[in-house]
Amino acid sequence: MAERETFFRHSLKVDFDRCQGCTTCMRSCPTGAIRIRGGKAVVDDNKCVDCGQCMKVCPHKAIYIQQDDFALIKNYQYRVCLVPSTFIGQFDEQYRTREIYSCLKKLGFTHIYEVEHEVEYMVGLYQRYMDSHPETRTFISPYCPAVIRLIQVRFPSLVDNVIKVRAPFELASRIIIRRLMDEGAPRESIGVFYVTPCAAKIAAVKYPVSRKETCISGVINMDFLYNKVQLILHESGNDAQPSNHALTSQDVLWALAGGEACHFQGSQYAVDGLQNVLNFLEKLEDEAVDAQGLVEMRICDQGCVGGVLTTNNRFVARKRLEHRAQDLQHREKTRYGRYEDPEFCKWIDEQMEIPEIKPRSIYKLDDDFSAAFKMAERMRKIEKALPGVNCSACGAPSCAALAEDIVRGDARMDTCIFINRHSQASEDAIRSIWGDRVRTKEINHEK
Amino acid sequence: MHYTFDIERGNFTDAGRASSSVKRTLKHLGVDPANIKRTVVALFEAEINAIAHAYGGTIDVDIDEGKIVMVVADHGPGIPNIDLAMQEGWSTASPQVREMGYGAGMGLPNIKKNTDELKIDTQVGVGTTVTMTVYFA
Repeated sequence: MAERETFFRHSLKVDFDRCQGCTTCMRSCPTGAIRIRGGKAVVDDNKCVDCGQCMKVCPHKAIYIQQDDFALIKNYQYRVCLVPSTFIGQFDEQYRTREIYSCLKKLGFTHIYEVEHEVEYMVGLYQRYMDSHPETRTFISPYCPAVIRLIQVRFPSLVDNVIKVRAPFELASRIIIRRLMDEGAPRESIGVFYVTPCAAKIAAVKYPVSRKETCISGVINMDFLYNKVQLILHESGNDAQPSNHALTSQDVLWALAGGEACHFQGSQYAVDGLQNVLNFLEKLEDEAVDAQGLVEMRICDQGCVGGVLTTNNRFVARKRLEHRAQDLQHREKTRYGRYEDPEFCKWIDEQMEIPEIKPRSIYKLDDDFSAAFKMAERMRKIEKALPGVNCSACGAPSCAALAEDIVRGDARMDTCIFINRHSQASEDAIRSIWGDRVRTKEINHEK
Repeated sequence: MHYTFDIERGNFTDAGRASSSVKRTLKHLGVDPANIKRTVVALFEAEINAIAHAYGGTIDVDIDEGKIVMVVADHGPGIPNIDLAMQEGWSTASPQVREMGYGAGMGLPNIKKNTDELKIDTQVGVGTTVTMTVYFA
């Protein structure tokens, strides 16, 4: 593929030893970021939005999420595990929240802090942003980082509808650091480790859209930590230390589909699941729906409990969190004292602001309109000439995608096995995509 | 570049096919998102108008360097009073159409708002041809 400037970086990686080039991931990618080259799935960094769909569908477990070395936590005296309530949802209801947190401490963390502690302030940040933009009719929640990137690449006309506030873990990490510093901990001795349910949140920590600094020292994959905790639960049984977690019932439900929208007055929408999000964004862009107010959007079905790094069934996890919310129904919110200090709030608000979300259209064929026009015309002709069966044997997800690859100079007409299937050129082209695994008919007969 | 689409009376579920296709091409051409939006909104409105009021028709789209011309031609009742039809809130849509969320009387005014040129040729009992132009520059 031609050299291009890279805007995005990702934690999703393809394990070439396991990848069979089976095209499953390529066909399910919502941005057409994957091609088969040399018999393996290759990802275009500028198109990938970290939605994790490829990892969910891969039959060979060839796609994985790079995480930080767990031993990193040992570099800090104060080791904070920043845990989303989704994590609790992974465990059977027989294990109480406190027991799970005790296990985290046995693993080496000194403090457990729940991301949802700051839900109330997050809601305030959204509300203030909406109030200060009365000219905007539809506000898209910035909660799901995959949604923001999807908008950047596929629906650039909607970037101004996204509430320009950073993710909740950015707020929670700053608050816990400040709380520990209030108690006398030196800043450099505090390490905050975020437990992620998906690839998109890792990308949002490591390569934030805001291009601002993060306070997260490392990211731990939820499935990895789940296994470690589950092992301790099995080995040592009930051993709950008292803990100071203090979420309210609404806080606990925040990560579930509908968890943000319910905090706002007037009409709001809660859209979850990749296909639903795509459909809704398409309609918003065409103004075919007139959505006034907040539109909550989560790439994963049911919200974060459907994340690619979760272990438990999403509906079971949801039920567990709903039960936990019921138990917490009468709990009063204890607010961090510094929130009463206007100077502190001003600092937080600045830290949480996203200055700009840039459109990064993946469709544009050329910066020059005339050149793009010629390419688009050619693309249409090629598309009509292609068989339209979307077989993916050319290494592209569809005939339309191959047509685009051809005009961009990334593929050739004769890579289509329908177009030129008897020539040597076709044979060579197919071989360059599928490698030696593609055998000729004669070899198959011998077998 | 030329596109043609057919319009079928009363087929609201199929609405948006033309605008989606045009949108895809405009994105490939790198047209400014604000102009894409104007174009798509106007085309969608015109398509809905023809589906709701006419007895079928066609959409012809021509994309050139710098502009897009969209012609929505229908065989239909025609518009008896264009000035009224151009007023916001004026509608002759049937109760069934209104039940589907359309017919608020914003169609033509919205098209006017979103296009650079709008021409309406109508003849009562014959049909209506709406010609919309959006300049990208």
